[in-house]
Amino acid sequence: MEEEDQQKVSDLIKELVLRLLSQNPTSDSHPIDPNSPDFRNSLRYAFRILSSRMTPSVAPDAAAIGESIKRRLATQGKSSEALTLADLCTKFASKTGPGSVNNKWAVLYLLKIIAEDRKAARNQLDSSALLPNLAFNDADSGHDSRVSRSLGSKEKGWRNGVLLVSKDPENRREIAFREFMNLVKEENEVCEEVLVRDVLYACQGIDGKYVKFDKNADGYVIPDLVKVPRATRIIVRKLCELGWLFRKVKGYISECMDRFPAEDVGTVGQAFCAALQDELSEYYKLLAVLEAQSMNPIPLVSEKVSSENYLSLRRLSVWFAEPMVKMRLMAVLVDKCRVLRGGAMAGAIHLHAQHGDPLVHEFMKRLLRRVCSPLFEMVRSWVLEGELEDIFAEFFVVGQPVKAESLWRDGYRLHAGMLPSFISQSLAQRILRTGKSINFLRVCCEDHGWADAATEAAAAAGTTTRRGSLGYGETEALESLIDGAAKRIDKHLLDVMYKRYKFKEHCLAIKRYLLLGQGDFVQYLMDIVGPELSEPANTISTFKLAGLLETAIRSSNAQYDDPDILDRLRVKMMPHGTGDRGWDVFSLEYDARVPLDTVFTESVMARYLKIFNFLWKLRRVEHALIGAWKTMKPNCITSHSFTKLQRAVKLQLLSSLRRCQVLWDDMNHFVTNLQYYIMFEVLEVSWSNFSSEMEVAKDLDDLLAAHEKYLHSIIEKSLLGERSQTLCKSLFVLFDLILRFRSHADRLYEGIYELQARTMESSLPSRDKRKSQRQLSDKVSEPGSWIGDGRKALTQRAGELFRNMGQDLDAIAKEYSSLLEGFLSQLPVQQHVDLKFLLFRLDFTEFYSRSSPSL
Amino acid sequence: MDPDAARTARESLDLAFHMSNVLDTGLDRHTLSVLIALCDLGLNPEALAAVVKELRTSRELQTTSSPPTSTAPSSLS
Repeated sequence: MEEEDQQKVSDLIKELVLRLLSQNPTSDSHPIDPNSPDFRNSLRYAFRILSSRMTPSVAPDAAAIGESIKRRLATQGKSSEALTLADLCTKFASKTGPGSVNNKWAVLYLLKIIAEDRKAARNQLDSSALLPNLAFNDADSGHDSRVSRSLGSKEKGWRNGVLLVSKDPENRREIAFREFMNLVKEENEVCEEVLVRDVLYACQGIDGKYVKFDKNADGYVIPDLVKVPRATRIIVRKLCELGWLFRKVKGYISECMDRFPAEDVGTVGQAFCAALQDELSEYYKLLAVLEAQSMNPIPLVSEKVSSENYLSLRRLSVWFAEPMVKMRLMAVLVDKCRVLRGGAMAGAIHLHAQHGDPLVHEFMKRLLRRVCSPLFEMVRSWVLEGELEDIFAEFFVVGQPVKAESLWRDGYRLHAGMLPSFISQSLAQRILRTGKSINFLRVCCEDHGWADAATEAAAAAGTTTRRGSLGYGETEALESLIDGAAKRIDKHLLDVMYKRYKFKEHCLAIKRYLLLGQGDFVQYLMDIVGPELSEPANTISTFKLAGLLETAIRSSNAQYDDPDILDRLRVKMMPHGTGDRGWDVFSLEYDARVPLDTVFTESVMARYLKIFNFLWKLRRVEHALIGAWKTMKPNCITSHSFTKLQRAVKLQLLSSLRRCQVLWDDMNHFVTNLQYYIMFEVLEVSWSNFSSEMEVAKDLDDLLAAHEKYLHSIIEKSLLGERSQTLCKSLFVLFDLILRFRSHADRLYEGIYELQARTMESSLPSRDKRKSQRQLSDKVSEPGSWIGDGRKALTQRAGELFRNMGQDLDAIAKEYSSLLEGFLSQLPVQQHVDLKFLLFRLDFTEFYSRSSPSL
Repeated sequence: MDPDAARTARESLDLAFHMSNVLDTGLDRHTLSVLIALCDLGLNPEALAAVVKELRTSRELQTTSSPPTSTAPSSLS
């Protein structure tokens, strides 16, 4: 068979040579003698060429060759021919089965080369003859081609003559290239393919054969012992930065995973790790693809240059450009976040997301979406359910276990460190308040209607109450959700406060009882507890006072008030010292229960108490003055009863009476105007402002602020504030003076009544006289009493009394006017505008400003 | 050879000849068929092309300069 084939080949070659030689373009074709030397030469030459060591330099791929021919034609501008050829190629390739051409690629390739040769020959017809036919005498039998193998046994003698047929420039280039390759091989101990594989390993954090992690250099390097050019060393080092970064990120992740059950990494930290892990798996995918590609050669058609593997170090550096950016970012984040947790971590990552590069921006956004999801989940459950699911203390709302009354004020607060910067301060406040409202409703109000409000809010915001419906970057969605939830829940809370817990009614009750707004009640209370309170403080029984309070309520219009409100009104005795009287320690108290004690806290109640004490004192002074007036009423003293007295004594009596009247009037003017000012300019105005603010209050904080303002304005205007302490002190001294005046006046009138009684007695029968004598002796228990003395002694006593009284009254009047002057001079110094009105009222007739130039 | 195979062979040759014309190789039908036969026997197409090229060159030299005493191949031997 082999022999037959060889015979066939030589026959065919003979035929071919014959054909080629006889084929003549010119007309004078003459048959060629097969035995002519010419023919034999040619035949020998042909055999020699065919036995050369030339091997096909292309892959046996018919389609690729066809494609290359077509492209060649197309580039030459023969597009129609190219199309025809493509058509023919397909048809040709489709011919299969017996009788068809087996080596289709060879036929196509042959045609191609012949065409190219012919073209080249035509282009340089002149030079073609001068082409040097290079011969390599040292033809190596090791590089046998198929042809030489098949022919070798026969044509041994021709083996030395090998013709390398190729175009000159290409030939030269090839030689140069081979030389270069040899040079490169000499210089490089390691070939590039191995390095590429090593770099790919290094980028997965694994030491390669040559590229290894060097602790001193802190990076992957080729050890100095391996001989590679500097350029390669540098590029390897550069590429392996990726491996270094990878190690860092991977190290962080595994560290977190290891730490997780024992220490608190936090849900945000876990989410961050998971996101990083995902990014790394993307990176793994890329590396796997690259690794697979690195083994494949570059598909090149008809290149004489032996094609290298697809991946070179330079190509790798292109492939690595994008992952490098991402990996660097991840490494930076890992560094940043090592010590951070929770919201702070999200905030730190967010700062890095502010980047102009769309690639980085997109990457960070993806990462943040994952990282922030636990945070947003916390926000959602806090805002809609009031749940603080924060076992790792990552959320920016921190809860503290407190009593119910301080839940609103101290129960929850913002943790500034954990607040990520993409949530603004005001939004955070709203978030805090909304959740707080829910908790307040749940704990303090025992209300469950908020759940409906929350569901409604979530529905309105477009997201359902399901988990994971919010994400990073959707600030508007978040804001609208929170706004909706806050609005509804705050409204619900205020509804509960107003309707169920009657906030307004309680405020009004406090105003009426603690701020003495209910006049008849206060008057009656003052009447019945007055005698009791004059006793020393330590002898007074609270129970008795409570009973008296009850009586006062029942006998005034207060009895028609809500029993729930009246139930909360109590008597309170303040801690007292030894010398205190009942007046100093008595006060009323209003018991604001949960949830109202959020508004009426202990400190607020203490301020109410302060106001109450002031008002109570004012009332007492007023009450005392009224009591004095009752005894002073002119018709009680019928002047005719004194007709029997001496003229001088009578004059004295009248003058002291008059002096007393004038002083009383002066004091009454002051107290009445002060009372008026407090009641109408202070209490009612503040209350009216408070009511209107209560109407527009949107949430509990507004309400608290309004109440605070109300209380503050009362305290400031009624001179109880910090700044008006001296004024307040002088006011209390004035009050004391007035009370002293009252006792003096009482004594004066007692004396007068007694005098009157004595003078009447002298004209009465002795039985009555004795009786009234006994009565009087009960009243005045002084040993040196003038009862029973003679008329002269009586007159003398009266003179003495009036003199003393006159002196006392003078002293009091003097002190009073100086104190009042001091008080009035201090008034304009005060900041409050309203105090100007008080001054105006007191000094309406400019009596005081005229009498003293200092005003 | 059955008629089917013969027809396929002829058609293949037609197609190859057509392509050869399109590419302007200057080969006639018979030469082409010889070349295809050689290719099918596994000879290197590059070598075959070289033979075609060389023989053509020598023939041109023959026709231009008679007598063909010094052809390129003979000078090499």
